[in-house]
Amino acid sequence: MLGQQIINGLMLGSVYAMVAVALTLSIGVLNFLNFSIPGLFMIAGMSTWALIHAGTPWPLAILAALAITTAVSLVVERFTWRWLRGAEHFVPLVSSMAFLLMFEHLAIAWWGSEMRVLPPLFAGTDWRIAGFVISLPQLAGLAVSLASIWGLSRLLKRTNLGRGLRTIAEDSDTALLLGIDVGRVVPIVFALAGLFAAIAGVLFALNYRQVQPFMGEAVGLKGISAMIVGGMGNTWGAIAGGLIIGIAEVLSVGYVGANFVDISVFGLLLLILFVRPTGLFAGLSAGRSGV
Amino acid sequence: MIHEQPILRLDSVTKRFGGMTAIDDLSFDVRRGSRTALIGPNGAGKTTVFNIVTGAVPIDSGRVFVDAVDISRMPSRRRITHGVARSFQNVRLMPHLTTLENVMVGQHCRNAGPFGVLQPVNLWPRNRWRDAARAAIAEAGLERYAGATVKNLPYGVQKRVEVVRAMMARPRLLLLDEPAAGLNSAETESLQDLLERICANGGVTLLVVEHDMHFVGALCDAVVVLDFGRKIAEGTPAEIRANPRVQEIYLGTAVTDATERRHAARSA
Amino acid sequence: MSGYLEGVLVLLAVNIVFAYGAFLPVAAGQLNLGLAGFGAIGAYASAFLSNAYGVTPILAIMLGGIAAGLIALVVAVPVLRTRGIYLALATFALGQIVQATLLNLEVVGGAAGYPVTAFIRLPTIALFAASVVVVVALLFATRFGIAVTAVHDDERVADLMGLDVRAFQIAAFTLGSIIAGIGGGLYAHHFSFIEAQYFNIGLSITVVLYVLLGGTQTVLGPLIGAGVFTLLPEILRGSANWRYVLFAAAVIVLMALRPQGLLTGEQIRRLLGLDRHGIGPSDAAREPAA
Repeated sequence: MLGQQIINGLMLGSVYAMVAVALTLSIGVLNFLNFSIPGLFMIAGMSTWALIHAGTPWPLAILAALAITTAVSLVVERFTWRWLRGAEHFVPLVSSMAFLLMFEHLAIAWWGSEMRVLPPLFAGTDWRIAGFVISLPQLAGLAVSLASIWGLSRLLKRTNLGRGLRTIAEDSDTALLLGIDVGRVVPIVFALAGLFAAIAGVLFALNYRQVQPFMGEAVGLKGISAMIVGGMGNTWGAIAGGLIIGIAEVLSVGYVGANFVDISVFGLLLLILFVRPTGLFAGLSAGRSGV
Repeated sequence: MIHEQPILRLDSVTKRFGGMTAIDDLSFDVRRGSRTALIGPNGAGKTTVFNIVTGAVPIDSGRVFVDAVDISRMPSRRRITHGVARSFQNVRLMPHLTTLENVMVGQHCRNAGPFGVLQPVNLWPRNRWRDAARAAIAEAGLERYAGATVKNLPYGVQKRVEVVRAMMARPRLLLLDEPAAGLNSAETESLQDLLERICANGGVTLLVVEHDMHFVGALCDAVVVLDFGRKIAEGTPAEIRANPRVQEIYLGTAVTDATERRHAARSA
Repeated sequence: MSGYLEGVLVLLAVNIVFAYGAFLPVAAGQLNLGLAGFGAIGAYASAFLSNAYGVTPILAIMLGGIAAGLIALVVAVPVLRTRGIYLALATFALGQIVQATLLNLEVVGGAAGYPVTAFIRLPTIALFAASVVVVVALLFATRFGIAVTAVHDDERVADLMGLDVRAFQIAAFTLGSIIAGIGGGLYAHHFSFIEAQYFNIGLSITVVLYVLLGGTQTVLGPLIGAGVFTLLPEILRGSANWRYVLFAAAVIVLMALRPQGLLTGEQIRRLLGLDRHGIGPSDAAREPAA
């Protein structure tokens, strides 16, 4: 029983981890809390539903949802970052919040505010291993998450782009001096963050099969908790945080009751902020903790 | 005797930033009522000295005394009440406040506490704090800028407003970080005038970081020279000008090259 | 007065109160993303007092505000030890926790919501709103206003000038939360029904956005922001969702073009002829050589 819950928790956790990675990229490299990411999560999830509902074969729907969401992320970049370097420091954060609001209400305007259900695409593909049940979407989800994160980590460590990102995280002025084309790199950060948020949204839609315009608030925002609980402000920390939060949430439902899930998740966040506020983002502006 | 105590004493102060030693076992005194210049090449540690005295950065070892009181561990917020005020190399006025309000920020340490904070300084046309600030601004010749939001003001005006702001705290020790940098000759004269008036009765001691040797020569009666975080020399401006080590630092390799060439020529 | 007009004015008054709740911390350089949570505390606390103990609404609403303020104080003191982003995140977490807690608190209705028996009308609500505006305006006419702006502009230098930066940040945050709590209480006692789902992050974000729209550098900015947010949609009509979309788009465009908001202190001063800075080349040449 506990083992099964942990598996379910890992699944939920990988969704949170993806969102947390997206958030961490923005905070680590660009030093701002990108509130549009939960909105992008929702766009990916609802687009997946909308496309499948309209008859698109699911592989295509998934790819389209990923593409759409990444494109929207680039639009966000244009309006939160491109015009706004050097303006008041809160502007990107505020604009990203406005985007979240906009996405939610656009979704309601287009699709209505009710919960939408995806058809069961992978029924009968459950595996039984040592008494545990793992469904195909769950396994695929875990695999995709791990692969994405591994890919990102390679990108950051081995490529010039990655080096550029890490340098910008350290000090954007130094980055400029070193000739790193910040104007070209920043959209890539947004694209990556959008992609990770999109993967999370698609995984959520396929595994839990329920989407609604406020799923960014209900689910995506817990990615913030994951990002901080995981500490360290780096990608691996984000993953650890996501998995912790996911497992904690599933165990909460099992042992304490579904009502207290949110209290637990955000209570944990608050506790961490009280106890170790400096430790978590010690490298935020200095980039010491790395991306 | 109390009035012979230096207003500022650094006692074997060391400050490191990561692997770099900014201040290395530095000791010097600033005589009460003097106008002391702190000079040295870029990176010599002059601004770090200011940061240490105001408490913006903690020291690694040694002690700092202001008016015979060890302030090494005093929180930065309290040091202005203890009599230390400063101006900044890059002007650090509050951009969203007017000149008058910026200058009134300088008064805050004398008007803190719940009753001070709730003083309706901006409500009635007349208020003694506001009037005092206005008077100070007028004395500096800047009254036409009193109501202007500072971020729109010329650099030279902003620099002088900073000095007025620091003065409003009625400090005993006024630290000025490159007050003449970026000023044209008229503004520099105006600043010098202002500073002379401030120091007239010896109530305020000036410690000035400056590169403008002309300004230093005209204003200051004592000089401390730093290089690589160490004290190289101290004395009157005349003594410093004649000091060969100081000349070497400032004239750099030109002097050593010439000396070497002469030696080479002699031994050839 | 028609019911419709009264409804709009009530909404305007409540939004104005919420706006000042968000304005206070922003003026000190902090973002309160849990604003709705403090509104909820005020709403539920005041509703509970008037429902269960028959406390008169005006008193209940004020007590609700104080309750919100006490919680704010408890959160602010530990978290304001470091950078503002921590406070924003902690307030966000707190807002979520408050909402989740109230959702499960059966004594005040839980997920089904909580009906409120006592009822207040526009005059009372307008009086509260006007009082809030006057109190905040007076407060900013004291040294507190200068200090808070100084802290907002440059924490390090404010500290070196002797200001207790932490104390001002905590004060602004707590005061803002009290006002938000009052807003929640007003809402509860007019709309006669409150549910935790209403006091969500979306509400916090919306209020913060229209405060930033109005302009945060002057104490009259929140009035403009609340006014534009409440009244413009009435003029434009159309579904509620498109109003939000347009509002969000307007904020994004405004942040790109004029991040200081619609109204700034500088503008007011110039309008009143108080900002005589008019520095042009001829002025610079006439620099006094005193």
